Amino acid sequence: MSIRTILAASCALVALQSAPPAFAQDKALAITIYADDLALVQDKRPVDVTGGRQRIEFAGVSAQIRPETVSLSANGVTIVEQNFDFDLLTPAKLMEKAVGSVVTIVRVNPATGEETREQAEVLATNNGVVLKIGERIEVLRDDGLPVRVIFDKVPENLRSRPTLSVTVDGDRRGSRPATLSYLTSGLGWRADYVALFDDASSKIDVQGWVTLTNSSGTTYDNADTTLVAGSPLRAGGGYQGSQYGRPQRPQLVTAGTETGDRERLGDFYLYPLAERTTIANMQTKQVSFLDVHGVPAKNGYEFRNYWMGTQEEPQSAKTVYRFATGSADGLGDQLPAGVLRFYMRDKQGDPQFIGESTIDHTPMGSTLSVSTGDAFDVKVKPVVEKRERLSSRRWRTTMNYTLSNASPRAVTVALQQDGLWGDTRIQSETMRSTRPNADMAEWQVNVPANGTAELTVVFDSSY
Amino acid sequence: MRIAHSRRILLAAFVVLSAPIAAHAQDLTASAPVDVSVTVYRDPFRSKGGFDLDNLNGFALITETRRVVLMPGQHRLRFEGVADGIEPASAIVTGLPSGVIEKNRDAALLSPAALVDAAEAQQGRVLLSRTAPNGITTRREGVIRSGAEGGVVFETPDGVEALRCSGLAETVTFESTRTGLSAQPTLSVLTRVNQRIEATVQLSYLARGFDWAADYVVSLSPDGRKLDVGGWITLANGNGTSFPNARVQIVAGRLNRDSGEIEPIDFGRPILARCWPRGSTSDTPDPVYIERAYPLGFEPDRYSSRDYMAMPAPPAAMAMAESKMDDVVVTGARRAKQEDLGDLKLYRVPDRSTVASRQAKQVRLLDSLAVPISRVYDFDLNPNNTIEFQPMEVILRTQNDQASNLGIPLPSGRVSVFETAGSGATSRRLLAGETSLRDLAVNEETEFLLSGGAAVQIRQTTESRQRPDPPPADVKGQTIRTGARFNMIDLVEITNAHPFPIQAEVSVYLADNEELVRADRDPERKNGRPVFRVTVPANESVEFRYQTVEYN
Repeated sequence: MSIRTILAASCALVALQSAPPAFAQDKALAITIYADDLALVQDKRPVDVTGGRQRIEFAGVSAQIRPETVSLSANGVTIVEQNFDFDLLTPAKLMEKAVGSVVTIVRVNPATGEETREQAEVLATNNGVVLKIGERIEVLRDDGLPVRVIFDKVPENLRSRPTLSVTVDGDRRGSRPATLSYLTSGLGWRADYVALFDDASSKIDVQGWVTLTNSSGTTYDNADTTLVAGSPLRAGGGYQGSQYGRPQRPQLVTAGTETGDRERLGDFYLYPLAERTTIANMQTKQVSFLDVHGVPAKNGYEFRNYWMGTQEEPQSAKTVYRFATGSADGLGDQLPAGVLRFYMRDKQGDPQFIGESTIDHTPMGSTLSVSTGDAFDVKVKPVVEKRERLSSRRWRTTMNYTLSNASPRAVTVALQQDGLWGDTRIQSETMRSTRPNADMAEWQVNVPANGTAELTVVFDSSY
Repeated sequence: MRIAHSRRILLAAFVVLSAPIAAHAQDLTASAPVDVSVTVYRDPFRSKGGFDLDNLNGFALITETRRVVLMPGQHRLRFEGVADGIEPASAIVTGLPSGVIEKNRDAALLSPAALVDAAEAQQGRVLLSRTAPNGITTRREGVIRSGAEGGVVFETPDGVEALRCSGLAETVTFESTRTGLSAQPTLSVLTRVNQRIEATVQLSYLARGFDWAADYVVSLSPDGRKLDVGGWITLANGNGTSFPNARVQIVAGRLNRDSGEIEPIDFGRPILARCWPRGSTSDTPDPVYIERAYPLGFEPDRYSSRDYMAMPAPPAAMAMAESKMDDVVVTGARRAKQEDLGDLKLYRVPDRSTVASRQAKQVRLLDSLAVPISRVYDFDLNPNNTIEFQPMEVILRTQNDQASNLGIPLPSGRVSVFETAGSGATSRRLLAGETSLRDLAVNEETEFLLSGGAAVQIRQTTESRQRPDPPPADVKGQTIRTGARFNMIDLVEITNAHPFPIQAEVSVYLADNEELVRADRDPERKNGRPVFRVTVPANESVEFRYQTVEYN
């Protein structure tokens, strides 16, 4: 006997058993996942149309479906109504829905095990079940003795999981392909990058993975999956801010102007997965999309003093890695937003983790400057040596910065003094500064190996 | 009858259909790790001090070497027994000749509730066993219709019933464990090979629920001029997974962490069998709540007829979190070797060691003897502010350099300071104070800040506050400019009840519109502020005045 025959037989019997036709196994799922907890599910499967009105049930849709976005399309089928039943089948709900109808109760004699059957009408289920048996009114299991309750059937709209049903009007009888599409939350993705930095050659190897997470409550079998790098959502709120209330250090030094060869959707790049995949519920899945070796990367240090203030203790400078994403001397790809993890080999040659940073969607041809953490040996101590009041709106501040380097090699620290509000000019400085913006001055300070460097600056501020 | 028949055929269809899918990717379990390396990183948001064993916010990089034999075809290679705090997105698998098609981690583990869910989803047959009070058990075949929200609804040829709502002992037996769920946290990768290979595969990932801190024990010499510093690395594993015979490293320094929340492992739930409302005619209405008194020896669990079945047992994960870690293992005194790892410091534990589940472990970090120190009594003052007598703080100050018998990177941690009380046979080593240390690079000034006793006290009295009208004349070379609002004189008194002289350091925190114009003693400068360094003779007191001006 062939598989097809058995399947046909079983399908026929199922159809006899329950009125709404169940779908066959050979459905084709296509899922497009956006970066911010949003996915478009397209579910293509043949549907048996009876002709006339019928209810079609879609089991196995996402439990976090947005029912208002559901659309069903099939030739010669008109949609009458769509229902999303989210009342779950539990013993309590089963009893609640049985109010006014008749159930069978089975009393069990504790001594003999003998069963007595009676028909009972459920009158109420408020803080206890009240039954009408013949002309008597009883509370279920009031005496604590065992009583089984048997229901004839499960009420139609109670399900073990949320289920979508569509009532349609078909023009003629027969099987035809139908496409169900809807938006759901609970599916998301981001990129994860592994960057192995080689200190000797100042190069990085970068691998990129897309990481899919599914907490939608449903498993998507054998789905054709595409990821969209970008968030098309404009409706609704949302905020962007740094974790600590401080301005985030800019990572994108220059925004790239190169175009990649990946497929696009409007302004967004598409990342189709090469093979169909099963996205199980509660699963984290990773698929590779980038593998580049020997990209030049520069290791440097950065320290920002957020206002003209004193730090009581020396503060660590940030370790910064700078690299390009262009096709020449870079990663040669646009980077979807995600977390970039840096590794470096220890003295025994084993890769060790040295810090991570999130990066935003980055166009190809950009220069990125990513911080991995604090440098243990490179520290800066800013001190306000003098603050003089020249008039009610004018101050003169003398800042002294002591930079120390306990490492056995000379380093250069990009020292930034932020918070230069108002009209703040540098009256004198022991090193030439640049002014990346009106609020900030920057010095490139060379600190010798196992040594210190000093910088003294006098600021003249008018507010 | 017909219904049962149709199900059996459907089941047959299922089995046949699922066979080719199984052949598509074969499940294959990699060997247990043959080599493990654990590198522990501290909580990046803790700047100093120690950690809480029940709330470990650090993490670890775990690298496991496993062996695997692959036959031609597509395989789902499973790595069982990874740390339950695994960050799946950080996993790296190397050593597979054809690379990795995809990596997966399922957050759900095999549990009673997972069995119910799987039986419901697959509409598989289950066996209902029901035992009447007289001990007779009846079995009935059926299907689970729902396991939603902790209640179980099943259907047998009798009809639809709810599990464990009848008051009879009822349970379900499952036909198989086709849940696809693992008993242990598992990471799997999909790979394809063309020929039989034996591969050594490395899996590395970051896992949460680890932490470490340095613990320093500082002993002051009897003359108070030198101290011995001993350091321990205390590392802890809060995971349910042990790493036997591992190479252990510790990394000091603050790393950026940006990964955010991870989907935690779901250890599953018991089958709760929640029922319909169970109120009875003997129930007291809710608002009048009388706590029941039980006679001695009464076990409410055994006798309560109605309520206990609906009481959910604590979920497994919660029960685990409640178990305390009281296991501290000290592993000898061979010191950890330090090396530079980029801009961080890496410490290598000298011998292989087992990082057991829910265990804290200590490894020797350093021993430095006879570190010269100066003992300074310290206080910060604001001018124009009268304060009553207060004890001054004690700083034990040294330099982290070779000349001071240190000169090594000191990772942040807790410090216990011991001093010897008494002398000769009656001398005892007692805890003199506890403090913490930040990350200290070589050549940095190193300070142990302790709370001082009552012996050294300081008081400041604002003696006068005058509006200078007309402006006062020049004071000792300083010009008081026009526009001065107040002209203040503060008196500082420091008392010393010790039988030896002490060094005191008083910093004056001036506001931006304040200037120090005159003082009895010449102030030095530290951190841009005037500092008075004063020697107070044994059992005496010292006083001095300073004058400040506040401008509009």
